[in-house]
Amino acid sequence: MKMCIACGMPMKTQADFAMEDETKDYCVHCTRPDGTMQSYEEKLVSLTGFIVKTQGMDEKVAQMAAKEMLSKLPAWKV
Amino acid sequence: MSDSQRQKQKIQTRKKLIDVALNQFAKDGLTTTRTLDIASSAKVSHGTVFAHFATREILLDAVIEEFGIRITNRLHELVSTNCGMKDVLSAHLRGISEYESFYTQLILERRLLHESARNSLIMIQSAISFHIIQVAEREIEACKLCRMPVDLLFNTWVGLIHYYLGNGDLFAPGDFVLARYSQQLIEHYINLITLRTEDK
Repeated sequence: MKMCIACGMPMKTQADFAMEDETKDYCVHCTRPDGTMQSYEEKLVSLTGFIVKTQGMDEKVAQMAAKEMLSKLPAWKV
Repeated sequence: MSDSQRQKQKIQTRKKLIDVALNQFAKDGLTTTRTLDIASSAKVSHGTVFAHFATREILLDAVIEEFGIRITNRLHELVSTNCGMKDVLSAHLRGISEYESFYTQLILERRLLHESARNSLIMIQSAISFHIIQVAEREIEACKLCRMPVDLLFNTWVGLIHYYLGNGDLFAPGDFVLARYSQQLIEHYINLITLRTEDK
């Protein structure tokens, strides 16, 4: 199963892929309206928001965890 | 041995070390397990462990990551099929119960772990919460569940589970907590969040 290079989400169905295009390496949640992949800054904001929404954590703690997570993903590895 | 065979063997050894380490961490604790014991259980030399994982912390990170992938993939598969709240909670507990000892150590020792391990656990819990929230939001809209902040909906559920796991010696001494209490905990929680006719 392919995993999104920008957020790590498993992409199981066609609907999980950017623009429902299974040749893409990033998922529907990491796509801008024009089909391009979101930037690092955009992902950091959305992933931090995702942690806050799902667990109600302090925003700074959530941002640290988001940074760590992004650093391990192919799209953002230095 | 050809390069591809060597590569294949390298991948197999790495996988074996992660599986063995997961069991060893579950048995001896995340902060106190010795790499020497992992090597001995995996029947490899101590040096082999470090050939694959430069430090003990990197090995623990790999184990936590593997645990997270296994537990969230199962939930991801299930939630795509429009399951109900009871189904997603059952799948969550089934996933944990396969690794109950490891998960219990993980939550009990969380604050003692290095930063990347603590952050990995945050991401695992958010992925689990996301799947549970997806189902919950559907059922809240359908007036089956009480309307409440979704982070609290998840934290209440996980708080209940962690209380039982963290006090396993009181609830199921020498036994697995979830094998004994899963059904009861799911029913109790569903009862708490269900919107009753008189509340509508």
